[in-house]
Amino acid sequence: MELFIKGIGCISPQLTYDNPDFLPGIKKYAGNRMMCIEPDYAPYFDAGSLRRMSRVVKFSAAAALIALKDSGITQLDAITTGTGYGLLENSEKFLKSMAESTGPVLSPTSFIQSTHNTVGATIALITGCNAHNNTFSHKGFSFESALIDARLMVAEGATHVLVGAHDEISEKTFALMEKLDVFRNNNEADINAYEKGSSGIVAGEGAAFFILSDKKGESDYGVLMDNIIFYHPENAIEVKQHIEAFLEKNKLALENIDVVISGINGDAKEDAVSHEINHLLFAHQTIVLFKHLCGEYMTASSFGFWLAAKILLAQQVPETVILKNRHRKPGYILLYNVFQNDHSLMLFKAC
Amino acid sequence: MEVYIAGKGIISAIGLNVEETLQSLKAGKSGIGTQTNLTGRRDSNLPTGEIALSNAELASMAGLSADYSRTALLSMIAAKDALADADINIKGLKCGFISATTVGGMDKTEKFMASFIRDGEVKDIGRILYHDSGAITELVAEALGIKHFVSTISTACSSSANAIMYASRLIKTGVLDMAIAGGTDAMSLFTLSGFNALMILDENYCTPYDDNRKGLNLGEGAGYVVLVSEKVAGKLSKAPAVKLTGYANANDAFHQTASSPEGKGNYLAMQGALKMSGLEISAIDYINLHGTGTANNDLSEGMAIQRIFGERVPKSSSTKAFTGHTLGACGGIEAIFSMMAIEQKMIFPNLRLKTPMKELGFVPVTELMEGVEVKNVLSNSFGFGGNCSSLIFSKVN
Repeated sequence: MELFIKGIGCISPQLTYDNPDFLPGIKKYAGNRMMCIEPDYAPYFDAGSLRRMSRVVKFSAAAALIALKDSGITQLDAITTGTGYGLLENSEKFLKSMAESTGPVLSPTSFIQSTHNTVGATIALITGCNAHNNTFSHKGFSFESALIDARLMVAEGATHVLVGAHDEISEKTFALMEKLDVFRNNNEADINAYEKGSSGIVAGEGAAFFILSDKKGESDYGVLMDNIIFYHPENAIEVKQHIEAFLEKNKLALENIDVVISGINGDAKEDAVSHEINHLLFAHQTIVLFKHLCGEYMTASSFGFWLAAKILLAQQVPETVILKNRHRKPGYILLYNVFQNDHSLMLFKAC
Repeated sequence: MEVYIAGKGIISAIGLNVEETLQSLKAGKSGIGTQTNLTGRRDSNLPTGEIALSNAELASMAGLSADYSRTALLSMIAAKDALADADINIKGLKCGFISATTVGGMDKTEKFMASFIRDGEVKDIGRILYHDSGAITELVAEALGIKHFVSTISTACSSSANAIMYASRLIKTGVLDMAIAGGTDAMSLFTLSGFNALMILDENYCTPYDDNRKGLNLGEGAGYVVLVSEKVAGKLSKAPAVKLTGYANANDAFHQTASSPEGKGNYLAMQGALKMSGLEISAIDYINLHGTGTANNDLSEGMAIQRIFGERVPKSSSTKAFTGHTLGACGGIEAIFSMMAIEQKMIFPNLRLKTPMKELGFVPVTELMEGVEVKNVLSNSFGFGGNCSSLIFSKVN
């Protein structure tokens, strides 16, 4: 089933909202983390709610409201969200209050807002939406599962679905991941450095939300044709088979694909399969990277989705994301993402 | 396209498997007691529905390392049993593992974080490696040999009902031929302290749907069902006795933790499930209530039930006085209680209910009923964030 992209909202380490320009330049981050450029939230939430909301709830709910406004749609038939780690800052806050005293914890606020569905629930509250509301939390399949759920909902009769994902960098989890040596400290934010690869990732975060519908409109960004997940493939040959079968299912040949958005994150070991796939299958396509803009996190593919939507609407690929082959006009886009051996594909086309 | 249930697996405070669970339900034997595995906080003295086995004992049942989160161990035990019960060869089938959890690996993380926050101690940092919900699911999927499709849902206390629903929809659309679906949650100090801070834990054994109810007891466990397509059902050695005929997910959109007084989300979930099943309200023989024992939940749920069923409320009971509230696992566990009601022709009692709620015109069943024809069961799971889900299980004719 084809889903038309009607509205998008993205808060990320780049200026991806309130910005008429499409990535004319990029914000570079020197260290090992890239954090969101947050808006002034006053236009989005009342002061009372703002006080209770943690940072991820604010930037995620705001991204959802931006997507809604962008689409002009007010009536939602489903809200589906994905988050890899859930509400880290609130969980850490509550753990801290537990560590500080063995007696009863006095304030439940951070506990209340520590459940993975807090953002999906907050959006339902703000929009007064009683419809189907689901939250997936499965590593590199969190956003992907939310997309599959959205597709199922539309197949079952929903007209407009809000689908999105969010993850945050929190102080303690970040410090622990540093100790686990998962990061590289020489982020150059340079696309060529990402291709060359070294050891470790740069932490990222963000929220991206989309309004999807099976009804075609005048000002749609583009079409999400299909998406699939595949889990722990043995090698690049198995990945190649998945990609070929996926395209065949959608009645496309490899040469129909104009742009490949690749989830290469700069960690040479983790990227090896993606490089091999680009070499095996996509010698002539425009290869686009995005994790030099948003960093790596479990739901980073939602930033890739945002990028696909923007490229489809603009009908051009910004220089800042092109790794090679700039000549292809973006008709069909394939997004191939890998997160710790969770692999996913999303197929888009221009309207 | 119908979706059948070919197998079930369960572990909770009232039994380590299906048979033990049934015996406890029949005997009216509650699993609530003093908990022993978690110590070091004043909250740990509260009564809970704890499974009386250590992690090492559970690990040996699960065939997994005792270093893994208790959430993963419980998940593996119940999921493995469900698959064995279905007696199905998954080879060549598009098979999914759709799990649900709210705490994930928090039992390990909280131990680590206590010393990390206090002293900056990082010696046991390996404990946090499987913290996230998806990591728990993948550990179990690997051990079960499921490669085709995995996912994890985390919508607070409705999580595993949503996992069963999602699996069913994937089967109906042909994405999957079969799925093991349900949920798992181990007891943690994090949830004990959190619910205690919210002041919704009963210091004594919980009394769902009693006028003097004081709150819930937390529990732990896992429950999974094996859902199969019509085509797969036709090839099984043991014909399925139960099918999933209705489900709906709705949001109360009222408050982060409290239900609306009239139970709007609850009403919409039950109504949606009934509509999908095509059943008349009179066809529902039993409601397995969410019935946590908090003032707010039982009232909202009760009001929503009355709004739908009027004066003809079916027989009902909350089984949480047996198991405690198992959070992300309760939808899976109670799906199995619903199946057992159909298969065993029984309605399990709502334990410890003495004084009926004065606001309601119906009273849940307080004694075991045997030899009753139960054809259709409505099972409710409602949670934080206004997430409300209802499932309907029906007898296969």
